[in-house]
Amino acid sequence: MTTTRRRFVQGSLAGALTAAPARLRAQTTPPVSRTVRAVLHGDLRVFDPVWTTANMTSYHAAMVYDTLFGVDDKFEPKPQMVSKYSLSDDRKTYSFELRDGLRFTDGTPVTARDCVASIRRWGARDGGGQHMMARLADTPVKDDKSFQLVMKEPYSLAVEWLAKAATNACYIMREKEAQTDPMQQIQTIIGSGPFVMNQDAVVQGQRYVYDKNPNYVPRSEPAVFTSGGKVVNVDRVVYENIADEATAIAAIRAGEIDMIEYPNVDLLSSLEGEKEIKLEVLNKQGQLGWARVNWLHPPFNNVKARQAMLYLIHPTEVMKATFGDEKYFKGCSSLFGMGTPMENDANIDWFKGGQNIEKAKQLVKESGYDGRPVVVLHATNIAYMNNAANLIAQWMRQAGFNVSLQASDWGAVITRRAVKSPPDQGGWNVFFTSGSVNAFGNPVALSGHAANGEKGWFGWPSDEKHEAFRDKWAAASNDAERRQIARDMQQNAWDFVPHMYYGQWFQPAALRNLTGLIGMPELIPFWNVKKG
Amino acid sequence: MLSYIAQRLAQTLLVMTLVGIFVFLLLHFSAGDPAAIIAGDYATPQQIVAIRQRLGLDDPLLVQFWRWAARVLSGDLGVSIFSNTPVSRLILQRLEPTLSLALLTMLFAVGIAVSLGVIAAWRVGSLVDRALMGFSVLGFSMPAFVVGYGLIYIFAIELRWLPVQGYKPLADGVGPWLLHLILPTVTLGLAYIALIARMTRASMLEVLEEDYIRTAKAKGVTTKTMLMKHALKNAGVPIITVIGIGVALLIGGVVITETVFNIPGIGRLVVDAISKRDYPIIQGVILLFSGIYVLVNLLVDLSYSLIDPRIRY
Repeated sequence: MTTTRRRFVQGSLAGALTAAPARLRAQTTPPVSRTVRAVLHGDLRVFDPVWTTANMTSYHAAMVYDTLFGVDDKFEPKPQMVSKYSLSDDRKTYSFELRDGLRFTDGTPVTARDCVASIRRWGARDGGGQHMMARLADTPVKDDKSFQLVMKEPYSLAVEWLAKAATNACYIMREKEAQTDPMQQIQTIIGSGPFVMNQDAVVQGQRYVYDKNPNYVPRSEPAVFTSGGKVVNVDRVVYENIADEATAIAAIRAGEIDMIEYPNVDLLSSLEGEKEIKLEVLNKQGQLGWARVNWLHPPFNNVKARQAMLYLIHPTEVMKATFGDEKYFKGCSSLFGMGTPMENDANIDWFKGGQNIEKAKQLVKESGYDGRPVVVLHATNIAYMNNAANLIAQWMRQAGFNVSLQASDWGAVITRRAVKSPPDQGGWNVFFTSGSVNAFGNPVALSGHAANGEKGWFGWPSDEKHEAFRDKWAAASNDAERRQIARDMQQNAWDFVPHMYYGQWFQPAALRNLTGLIGMPELIPFWNVKKG
Repeated sequence: MLSYIAQRLAQTLLVMTLVGIFVFLLLHFSAGDPAAIIAGDYATPQQIVAIRQRLGLDDPLLVQFWRWAARVLSGDLGVSIFSNTPVSRLILQRLEPTLSLALLTMLFAVGIAVSLGVIAAWRVGSLVDRALMGFSVLGFSMPAFVVGYGLIYIFAIELRWLPVQGYKPLADGVGPWLLHLILPTVTLGLAYIALIARMTRASMLEVLEEDYIRTAKAKGVTTKTMLMKHALKNAGVPIITVIGIGVALLIGGVVITETVFNIPGIGRLVVDAISKRDYPIIQGVILLFSGIYVLVNLLVDLSYSLIDPRIRY
């Protein structure tokens, strides 16, 4: 063993000063070589995957809970906790049987009653789940391992909803927790997933520790996205919440952490020379920048003003401002995001022609816009939103809008976006956000795809034809039919313009000596990962 | 003396009450809704409204204030809106790193700053004095995060002598504990050193002009005795005052330093709580900080009588 300066200093100081004995618990801490320390995109604030749609909670849930179905890399549902299932010929009754060896970490077996209770609680909150529950007649439990979903009408989407990896996914909890009011958080974290949360080692806001579940029985198939065998190759995974991006970069360079999900793009160059660090895009579909306009008030209650926004946004320029290197971004012309099964090129002339401020000016004029201030909410603490707001506000001014750019942090934006009052009374006209492209690929599950007016997501677009298309898509019996409906839906959508996109990006993760990490949208699975 | 202490403690309670009311109102009138943050980005407005109702955030402000104040009076700081964990437990969990950092910084800074200040005053106008005062200007004007990143780059990334970030509890051994605190302590201590060193120098310069110092010199006392026994003791009151005032600087600095070095202390706790509008944590921590600040100033006031027998309460 060579003596480095660091070892010498550490050894000297430790030797001289370790008067106090180290705690015995240190002996139970797995070695660094068997521990993955990951800095993910945010803090894990809530542990209940039904109570919130936060992605960090979904990451946590995928560690400690399991799902009835997973998805493969084509987003096809595959049985996970389920061994076999069937759909009756009239497409009204789904029958499921659980596979052998499923146990919660308290030692109790996973039963059909746990599954039914979990589905009901999840179905009360998730968009897809609600769609299914509205058509659900009964959930008979046949025996400890078998249950059914009996629908009121022919329905083909139940397995797709149960398999979805995007938040809220349907994680199976014990019946006891699953009976908790869906509007209230569960108090106990006991799942049957590949990891167990080590709650004694957790420091809220700082470190979340997951140990390998020794009793987990993985499937025999290879792991693909959330399907197949969830084989755990390390003893411990630690989510380190390092809030400061420069510190996280320094920590991975020094070997103190093994992964950063989204390293700051401005600092990527400092990692490029490091031999042990690899930059890899895990979410190949990427993220989609999303501009929502308020349909309740002028000027965006007029379709011409919304169409003007399509022509004035220059996605490549917005993306360049944040991500620099063109390999990390592209524009997006499809309502369903680029690279999703529903992507299509219907009605995208506005995109093909590129930014056209003159056309936008003309549309603003035709909309009858009266020059009133247009309130643009500007989240300054998130780089891509900050850049998007600054640039788009400038283009809006060039097109003739009288823009009032109102700066705050993101926490304030998500409060204000819920306000329906006129913009001069605390409301708003435009805000910017983003989402996983995978979520945009499903016109029913993503609440932001709804155009059901004030009952819908912030911006409250309204279009009956669009809603009819969404219902038709949900009732379709196969993918070919769904793709055609999606095309029709997009043809209509880019006429009435429910919202706009300001770019699609693919931010790489930084990995230090990690292999086998499954790259997929909206989840970082730590099964299959090997260190070294 | 006892009646003075009782009077000051009563004032402390009054100050903390006012701070509590101010913080409560400030938080509730500022933009941001914890329910919207909890619900996540894809949540519908209906889901957010339901969470608001569940958390009691729709209740009138007075009702919310009374609910919180009644809890605080009974010694309960409430429960985090996000994690459902008692605020007192969260604070206790974070107390050791913050106390370690603050106390180590105090020791480090006071030890160095007083020595530097005395030397500068003794050698006033010399190159040493100018260098020390130049250093103190630099220390005071460089933001903690700039110093922090600089130290990380040199000592953790290039030289690899010290860890970049994190904290090891004292129970894991003094060595690892200290190794993880060296860079944060130096980062946090620089401004504090600058402040105290300048005050020590100014105070010492004043005292060194006094007749009794000249007398001491005439009597042939050694320079060391003259500086440490005759001069420093008499210059002590303003120095102690500045150390006390510097606690506020330290509290502010802890928040930044803990973020830069990823130390799981109370500073990080409050920064995270502010970003997600976790009202009970913000209120609890600010109450704690205000209590500490007022008590430290009480201790400073009491220490005057130890240094200067002419001061009596």
